[in-house]
Amino acid sequence: MSERRQVVLMLTPYLFGLVALVAAPALVTFGLAFTEYDLIRPPELNGFDNFRELLDDEIFGIALKNSLVFAAIAVPLRLVGALGLALLLHRRITGVGAYRSSAALPTVIPDIAYGLVWLWLFNPLYGPINVLLRWQGDSSTTTAWGVQPPQWLTHPNDARAAIIIMSLFTIGEGFVILLVTRQGLPSELYELAALEDATAWGVFRRITLPLMAPILLLLLARDTIYSLQWTFVPALVVTEGGPPEFSTTYVPLFVYRNAFEFLRYGYAAAATLLMFALTALIVWLQWRIVRRWRKGFAI
Amino acid sequence: MSRIALEGVQKRFGETTALDGVDLEARDGELLVVVGPSGCGKSTLLRCVAGLEAVDEGAIRIGDRDVTQLRPAARNISMVFQSYALFPHLTVRENIAFGLVVREEPKQVVRERVAEASELVGVVDFLERRPYQLSGGERQRVALARALVRRPDAFLLDEPLSNLDAGTRVQMRTELRRLHREIGSTMVHVTHDQVEALTLGDRIAVLDAGRVRQVGTPDEVHGRPNDRFVAGFLGSPAMNFFGREAARRFYEIPKGTVLGVRPEHVRIGTHGLRTRVDLVEVAGSDAYVHLDRGLVARVPAHLRPDEGANVGAAFDRGAAHLFDEATGERREWQ
Repeated sequence: MSERRQVVLMLTPYLFGLVALVAAPALVTFGLAFTEYDLIRPPELNGFDNFRELLDDEIFGIALKNSLVFAAIAVPLRLVGALGLALLLHRRITGVGAYRSSAALPTVIPDIAYGLVWLWLFNPLYGPINVLLRWQGDSSTTTAWGVQPPQWLTHPNDARAAIIIMSLFTIGEGFVILLVTRQGLPSELYELAALEDATAWGVFRRITLPLMAPILLLLLARDTIYSLQWTFVPALVVTEGGPPEFSTTYVPLFVYRNAFEFLRYGYAAAATLLMFALTALIVWLQWRIVRRWRKGFAI
Repeated sequence: MSRIALEGVQKRFGETTALDGVDLEARDGELLVVVGPSGCGKSTLLRCVAGLEAVDEGAIRIGDRDVTQLRPAARNISMVFQSYALFPHLTVRENIAFGLVVREEPKQVVRERVAEASELVGVVDFLERRPYQLSGGERQRVALARALVRRPDAFLLDEPLSNLDAGTRVQMRTELRRLHREIGSTMVHVTHDQVEALTLGDRIAVLDAGRVRQVGTPDEVHGRPNDRFVAGFLGSPAMNFFGREAARRFYEIPKGTVLGVRPEHVRIGTHGLRTRVDLVEVAGSDAYVHLDRGLVARVPAHLRPDEGANVGAAFDRGAAHLFDEATGERREWQ
């Protein structure tokens, strides 16, 4: 068998999966976006009606805004968290393996289980977070500093914050990538900086950050894409899109509800397509902005 | 005054002793070359002087300051690394300026010093390039300029020529020598290359297993090695050694000693010990003649014998060295 045939043969399972699970559904979604389809009657072409309706749909507007606000807050925090942990744990110190594992571990827990754990953690009455916050409080409903603890699952902003907090612990992949990136930086550069009296901040700003920038940029793009989709399970399991007024309804949940609960597949496909275009636009803008920023110092 | 002195310096890594009571001085304005085989502790020695490694015992002085407990930056020395350690994201100009910029020197001063240093090592033409656009030799020049720019008390050079190809290495060696003469600062240069050590150093310190075996001018360490290790390490090809029995073919030597003779002192001709030529290596103008019984001679290439020829081998007693068989220390002829 020729080498070429071997390569093709070995790629076949992967290509099959890619076509069947990614390419074909994507194409179908693209097509469905221009139809009305409810699983019962055959799809009916309706041009740009779905998109027009989406633009007027108040709930889609809320979901889009929620998604963008979530990404705008969660992505920088997640990156800073992963970078901070990587810089903290790249050295050989006692027990570093355990620390690294615990930083990476939450990421490998199945989303549903992760959501259920947080549902318990966030419980306003007996959840450990609020029990801790109420510790030494004046009454059973105030914290030690005299305010009411957050109503994680019932107050709109507290619920949004809860979803962001949940996302901050699934940074394992970014952490591992940044950890090896940092370990790969030549130690001589840091020794030189020590000889030249660079401060810790100077070393970070002038050496570590610029040298890790290409990877950080990649992670920024990747995490933006990821964050715009990640909200689905927590919103479904922990907050169920509420509290009222759709305060934690994000685009993925909006799509899910329209497709699988309201049987509006065409409409859901249009929302998906719009989100896809928006994601691509954001990532493209990020590349453009950050590329311009990568420079040395002027003398 | 910017002499560098190590006094009884001990450095251990776990069970391994990297430096075992090192006493060594680089005099003010001197280029001291520390030479030794891989793992002899020479890089550790340099890193201890720089403050990148803490010493376990002993003291390090630069000028008249005891710097043993000072952090690297407070020692006011510059270091050049084998890997050059240039910042890939900065231009040559920014790389050279790094030490001044992080110390927040005024921009005018930075510009002047960078211009001066880049002039001195000849990198003026590529100040706006980035390290990846430079050859190995050019990178090493940039690293030297960066070391020069801060006008430190002393320079530490950690195998700066090892990553260069042979031609560039010889050229850079000469330039380093010239540079040292121009700036007149104290330099400690670490290398495993004995030719580099012999050609470059004002004085040479030979290090083995964390101990200084001999310090002296190139002539002293090459011509009058303190012990068998130094004798065998310096010189190419290596010195011939004979035990008492084997040496008897040439000269009677005292009990418990070893005789050593450099290949360039072995004469090949019609006189002396009759032996057969096993192998001849020609290295340009010289030829290394491997004789039976493990004797090597270095002769001008045009006078080399043919392989398989029967020749006589001899050397003067005065050119031979005696070493103690047990301790390796130098012994004098009686």
